[in-house]
Amino acid sequence: MTTDHKLTTVSPPGATTSRGDAVVRLAGVQKEYGDTKALDGLELEIRAGEAVAVMGPSGCGKSTMLNLVAGLDRATAGTVEVHGQDLGALDETALALFRRRHIGMIFQFFNLIDDLPALDNVALAAQLTGVSARQARRRALELLDELGVADRKDAYPAVLSGGQRQRIAVARALMNRPALLLADEPTGALDSRSGEQVMDLLIDLNQIGQTLLIVTHDPQLAHRCASRLVEVADGRVARETMLETPK
Amino acid sequence: MSAVWRASRGAVRRRKLQTTVIGLVVFGCTVTVVLALSVLAVTTAPFDDAFGKQRGAHVVASFDAATTTPAQLADTAHRPGVRAAAGPFAETTLEMPGDWLGYAPGSITVVGRADPGGPVDQVTLRAGRWATAPGEIVIESNDFPGRDLNVKITPKGLPPLTVVGYAASMSQSARGWVAPEEMAALHPTAYQMLYRFSSAGTDQQLHASLATATAGLPDGALTSAQTYLTLKQQFSAGADSFLPLLTAFGVLGLVIAVLLVGNVVSSAVVAGFRHIGVLKAIGFTPRQVVAVYLGMLLVPALVGAVLGSLVGAVLAVPFMKVAFGGISTGTADVSHPALWAPLSCVVGMPVLVALAALVPALRAGRLSATRAITAGSAPRAGRGLRVQRALSGSRLPRAVSLGLGQPFARPARTALTMAAIVLGVTAVTLATGLSSTIIAAGTSGSPPVGTGVEVDLGQAADHNQQEPKLSPAEIEARLRALPGTELLTRRYLTLVGMTGYSQSVYADFYGGDDWQREARVTVGRPPTGPDEVVAGPAFLAQHGLHLGDRITLELAGRRLPVAIVGEPLEGNAGVVTSNWQTALDLAPQHRVNSYEVRIASGTDSAAYVKAVRAIDPGLYPSVQEPSGATAPTVSVIGFTTVFSILLGSVAALGVFNTVLLNVRERRRELGMLKSIGMTPRQVTAMTVTSVAGLGLASAVIGVPFGILVHRVIVEHIPIMVFSESMKDVWHAPELIGLALAGVGIAVLGALVPARGAARLPIAEALRTE
Repeated sequence: MTTDHKLTTVSPPGATTSRGDAVVRLAGVQKEYGDTKALDGLELEIRAGEAVAVMGPSGCGKSTMLNLVAGLDRATAGTVEVHGQDLGALDETALALFRRRHIGMIFQFFNLIDDLPALDNVALAAQLTGVSARQARRRALELLDELGVADRKDAYPAVLSGGQRQRIAVARALMNRPALLLADEPTGALDSRSGEQVMDLLIDLNQIGQTLLIVTHDPQLAHRCASRLVEVADGRVARETMLETPK
Repeated sequence: MSAVWRASRGAVRRRKLQTTVIGLVVFGCTVTVVLALSVLAVTTAPFDDAFGKQRGAHVVASFDAATTTPAQLADTAHRPGVRAAAGPFAETTLEMPGDWLGYAPGSITVVGRADPGGPVDQVTLRAGRWATAPGEIVIESNDFPGRDLNVKITPKGLPPLTVVGYAASMSQSARGWVAPEEMAALHPTAYQMLYRFSSAGTDQQLHASLATATAGLPDGALTSAQTYLTLKQQFSAGADSFLPLLTAFGVLGLVIAVLLVGNVVSSAVVAGFRHIGVLKAIGFTPRQVVAVYLGMLLVPALVGAVLGSLVGAVLAVPFMKVAFGGISTGTADVSHPALWAPLSCVVGMPVLVALAALVPALRAGRLSATRAITAGSAPRAGRGLRVQRALSGSRLPRAVSLGLGQPFARPARTALTMAAIVLGVTAVTLATGLSSTIIAAGTSGSPPVGTGVEVDLGQAADHNQQEPKLSPAEIEARLRALPGTELLTRRYLTLVGMTGYSQSVYADFYGGDDWQREARVTVGRPPTGPDEVVAGPAFLAQHGLHLGDRITLELAGRRLPVAIVGEPLEGNAGVVTSNWQTALDLAPQHRVNSYEVRIASGTDSAAYVKAVRAIDPGLYPSVQEPSGATAPTVSVIGFTTVFSILLGSVAALGVFNTVLLNVRERRRELGMLKSIGMTPRQVTAMTVTSVAGLGLASAVIGVPFGILVHRVIVEHIPIMVFSESMKDVWHAPELIGLALAGVGIAVLGALVPARGAARLPIAEALRTE
């Protein structure tokens, strides 16, 4: 463990997924924006418990790929299968429910709601599923505690540091025990110290079995947190490298 | 092209929807205001113009010929305060038989004048020529087109007179004019003097001036004096009746426009923080930034104002026709609305819009470039947080509680939006109330179930008809005996003189069964006793009379003082209604004009009509269709509905604008919420809830306010008087419905942007800075 806190409440992730099962399967995925091809026959498989980092130059299609896996966007062609579900077959509502149950997302710029304190930002994800406010707040508090920011539960995002905001965003992503945690440049907006803390947190999560897919420009983040590095170029997987198990 | 104009144009292009909203809001409000101003303009200006051109008489005075001499009266023209005078002219009252030139029988005032000109009351000849020879007469007529010249009319007991012309007098000094030489044959009983006074602004001044002019004349010499102020009041009575309504809607429209424009610009400034920062960073001065934001509005405001003025001016024409229907307008031109109304709106509305936009535009000008660029949009932290927190912990579905909390994040925007909904609800409440009142009034005098048959008695003066051979008593007895006759009302309509007034009025007398229905009294009581009449609010207003006053009716040399004991809901401004006893007192020799028969349900009306004809060939029966609402009623309901729809739509547009801004401002937040599993339905629910609560809160304010405005209006429509039960139209189902109207306006305005929010592409939203 690299953080001061034990991550117990977040586990077990994805109740029906066993370590080693394919959580993400992308086959011949294409995505076009008008005349521009963002993805061009991308193939990728991620197994349960893996931590995969995706790198590549700007515009190579890595964020597009992340959006497709998260069910935030739809592929022009090919199959996007997450947790055994073909996302292309789902309508908007089913897709939203799928995200709610199986996907957790962390953004570069945190995307917290300014009008809500940290605790309610985290509880929100569970409340949307119909969990009562009391239960949601209780679990949110446990998560904040495990991520070391319980003392900031009543603080509004505007008064939190970048690192604290990202921890709260991580807590919100973990709220519904997702099978897959997606991170889009999670340290991109943080100073180096906060970035380090977030990296440690991601490593801890992976070590307790959380499947991770991280999109980043930062080689340090990729090498520290991921067990596999996928390099994308021109909308395809250019190279895959197995890395040392994250520590 | 200047940098400011280029930037403004760019801002307009970027905000196409908001530009359209401003244009529509300004358009809707301009139409309302142009109509209100047009009616306001014609209530006085055309009368004043025409009256001035004719050098109208401030006072038309009649003097008893038995107690004064022409020399004495001529002398009054030189008294202090008299600026000009005409007369004395010999005056008489002629008794006209039935259906003369299409008018009812009765008394008319005729004056002997050598020519239509003179220093006072220059009568305008509208057809034919002036009466210059014995046996000729010129008739005062407002609707001369289509009337025949050289037709003969025969006053009772006198030889026929040939109508050689039709003329209009803004002073309404007589109903007919003959050559002075003819007057001797008509047995004049009075002299007419026409005065213009130096001091004539008020009734008091007019009476004081007249008293000075007539000082020293024998007691009782002055028998009547009609002031031009009474005529002016009569002229504008119809238009005046719409004024409270139009003023209410005009003011509501203006306030809504100001609120919405202020809201749109404030929002544009809030949402455009980064844009303002960039403008300043590249060298725009604060003044230029203000100009950019004002310029951004002027294009849609100007387009809305020009189109609104055009449509308002076009709509004003039929509106005038309704407002002046049945009113003697003389030579005054009321068919063309005053040009200044639309013109002032073309200039005034954009100025108003600019003023409404000035405060937020100045705020934009004062912003520091660094702060603007850094913030991206105006900070929201610290506002309504306690409410948000409380809602987070509530049992409400999270999408709903999130929506309910949104208005607290931008209190100023919320207040402006709410104010617009409040006014929209007020307009809807007002429209509902007025319609209910008018419907209640319309049904209050509804005839009982059964078909009506009107039986007119043939007039000898009408070449196409013959007089009945049977006496009225025999006719009535035969009609009552006919199978199917349920109720029978007899009617006698006649023109009568009114002591103190130079114009004749109609006296409508009813007798028999169910005659009180004709009076439809809403204030006071029906004329049950002898020598009692009821008169409508328009009649009372135009003659300066009140309930309880006494007037003297004159017919065929007989004078009958009567008391005004009741006011019907509405009524012709020139009609008093009374009972049969009063008819007998005023005109013992009168004859029935017609009968109104209510036939029993199931009776074959065609067979009944045939049976009536068989009684006497001088009877002319016709089946009466159930009467619908009267023209003013339809107008009031029609205009109220149009204005309510207009203002309700404008309020909904305000909500639309607010929700659109909120959605745009919260785009990233929406993307995040959707990314963590908020369904499209939850997004729609959240967005709609954010304003539905406002709608409900607005209804709590708007409904009582609308009820108050309704009360003020129904008590100030000069041509109608409503009973308390007609004013009190508010019942629980209606109030609940109106409360829902607030929610309805809000939901209507929010639905489109809410659906847009639900369909928002998440990946794109999350990319938005």
